[in-house]
Amino acid sequence: MIYFFDGSKDAFLTAFLLAYRDQNAVLTAGNRQLVLGQESVFVSADHERARRCERRFTELDARCMHDLSLLLRSGEDGRGQIALNYFRKIAERGRPVRGEMAEDAVREASECIRRVTLEAHRLKGFVRFMESASGALYAPLAPDNDVCDLLIPHFRARLGNIPFVLHDVRRGKAAVWDGTHAFKAPLTEAEILLSADEDKWQALWRQYYASVNIPSRKRIRQMKGYMPVRYWKFMPENPSAAAGDLPMQRAAPPAEQDGALHPHGSSRPLPPPPGR
Amino acid sequence: MIARETLRILTESAKYDVSCSSSGSGRKNTGGIGNGMPDGCCHSFTPDGRCVSLLKILMSNDCVFDCKYCMSRRSFGTPRASATPEEICELTVDFYKRNYIEGLFLSSAVHISPDHTMEQLVRTVKLLRTKYQFHGYVHLKGIPRADPLLVTEAAKYADRMSYNMELPSEKSLKLLAPQKDKESLFVPMKQLQRERTIFRGEKRRGFFLPAGQTTQMIVGASPERDGQILRLTQSLYRAVGLKRVYYSSYTPVVDDPLLPSAQSPALREHRLYQADWLLRFYGFDVAELVPEDEDLPLDVDPKCAWALRNLQYFPVEVNRAPLEMLLRVPGIGGKSAQKILSARRYTSLTFEHLRKMRVVLRRARHFITAGGKFCGEKNLLSVRGLLAAAEQPEQPQQLSLFDTPAARSALTGEL
Ligand code: SF4
Repeated sequence: MIYFFDGSKDAFLTAFLLAYRDQNAVLTAGNRQLVLGQESVFVSADHERARRCERRFTELDARCMHDLSLLLRSGEDGRGQIALNYFRKIAERGRPVRGEMAEDAVREASECIRRVTLEAHRLKGFVRFMESASGALYAPLAPDNDVCDLLIPHFRARLGNIPFVLHDVRRGKAAVWDGTHAFKAPLTEAEILLSADEDKWQALWRQYYASVNIPSRKRIRQMKGYMPVRYWKFMPENPSAAAGDLPMQRAAPPAEQDGALHPHGSSRPLPPPPGR
Repeated sequence: MIARETLRILTESAKYDVSCSSSGSGRKNTGGIGNGMPDGCCHSFTPDGRCVSLLKILMSNDCVFDCKYCMSRRSFGTPRASATPEEICELTVDFYKRNYIEGLFLSSAVHISPDHTMEQLVRTVKLLRTKYQFHGYVHLKGIPRADPLLVTEAAKYADRMSYNMELPSEKSLKLLAPQKDKESLFVPMKQLQRERTIFRGEKRRGFFLPAGQTTQMIVGASPERDGQILRLTQSLYRAVGLKRVYYSSYTPVVDDPLLPSAQSPALREHRLYQADWLLRFYGFDVAELVPEDEDLPLDVDPKCAWALRNLQYFPVEVNRAPLEMLLRVPGIGGKSAQKILSARRYTSLTFEHLRKMRVVLRRARHFITAGGKFCGEKNLLSVRGLLAAAEQPEQPQQLSLFDTPAARSALTGEL
């Protein structure tokens, strides 16, 4: 049986209760497709049952709900199945299984979680803000995993009173710190009036980036290994040009995303004043 | 706002310094901007494969000293520039705010005099911490022969300071950096260590170099052997309490009959970093790694070389060996060792398990058994050749630049 769910925690827990005894169960948050010869069902969240399930799991392993929240942020289609197998193991053993790296289910979950936290960690470095006329900061990003709001505490701690918006243009949502509150909001298109000096600081940053490089050492593979190309798009230093690649082609983006951001284009449809 | 040309000159003169780490400070944001991230953070990577973490810049490249290997030396014709403390502060804060950088690494040529230069550096970091309320990472270079009071003052505001040894012996210093000597570097290093110990002992509020001190040595500009260099390193770690020693392959940027005309091989630098790692994280003593008057072998890494000289300890059984011994197995790094310790509590590990856990077995298999089973080469004589062949062609790269947690695990995983 194939169990489809919407990717939310409660839907997962509801589906888990239906699926965990069925050794052939496939649990997926992917697009529902017709699979020949296999029965499928769409499971929607039953909040009451989900609460009970959550309570039970928390008794078995106090940290497992945290694991689940990270697993469900993964952008991989297999995340539902990985979570199912992992939670099945916890239920089977009746205790935390985190350290049992020789078990496929545990290792796969742990690696999936690592990919999510690794991306969040990397983005702490790779996010680039631009300053709006009001002084608020805006950063567009397109992460593989749904991690934008995980970054709020980090930037909040360092930016103090400065409001900021982390705009996930891939998922059409934003994580916002408005100076007093942190919240998530749907956001497709954004228009921002940049501060008077924004262009000059970006130009200085480009100069710095070019000058600090040692051209006689070319280690593009290493550069790309540590800073995967998919993050380059929103970096004003334009690593792609520096690495000597062809300018990146924007594959005809859907209209609403195109509107979002050309962080260093000349004509720029700009993101909105940070706020709701 | 700093002029673009000034920024260019002051960056180009600073870029050969290899240290760029932003780790070790847990400074909090107390009502301004910025904080420390104890593990450090890379914000970008340049095409040379290096991490951009700090704004690495000189205050001035207009030097009164005349170190032979340096582009900023007095007798060299190069465009000169100096920045003001305000310009540096503004640049730091505006870059930081946009998340371009993790902080500032401010250094300087000896402009006018050591005291004048140190004063400018101290003024900048003080301004940054007070007027600009900046609590992000600041690494200050110490200027040899500056007033000890200025040195203490600097340490109250900076997260890390470094006096670069540059050359691993007094003799080479005399020859190539005539205005410096070992004393002019060791005296302030020891002063800072003393004051830091006192500060920590008193548990006072505030900070005094939370991220400690580091230094850098140029490798291949002078005749010292790896054994000698690593002995100096070990004493710097043990006696002066340094956090980190960086090695920089000599690159000829100036012609001088006293200097080699060729670039020192990256592989040598790489081996020094590996050995350094073994000293700091794997419980090795320099005497186990290399005799004083020899270089490290180039064909295999220093841990392999040690293991091949000490085959009586091997193979070790992964299901029983203590952590210290696992760490001495070629190819098993800190992460893999931890994974093994954790997993073997639940089941008896086989090679299949190890493979799935992504323990790299290319080298390790010759030195371990799993459940009594041995998968390595039985003919000991051919092991060295196999190990050398197992070196990836990619490896002799700038480990000097690896200073991020991610990079660190990449390294420990392989060692
Ligand atoms: S003191 Fe520093 S800047 Fe001046 S010549 Fe020597 S190494 Fe270069």
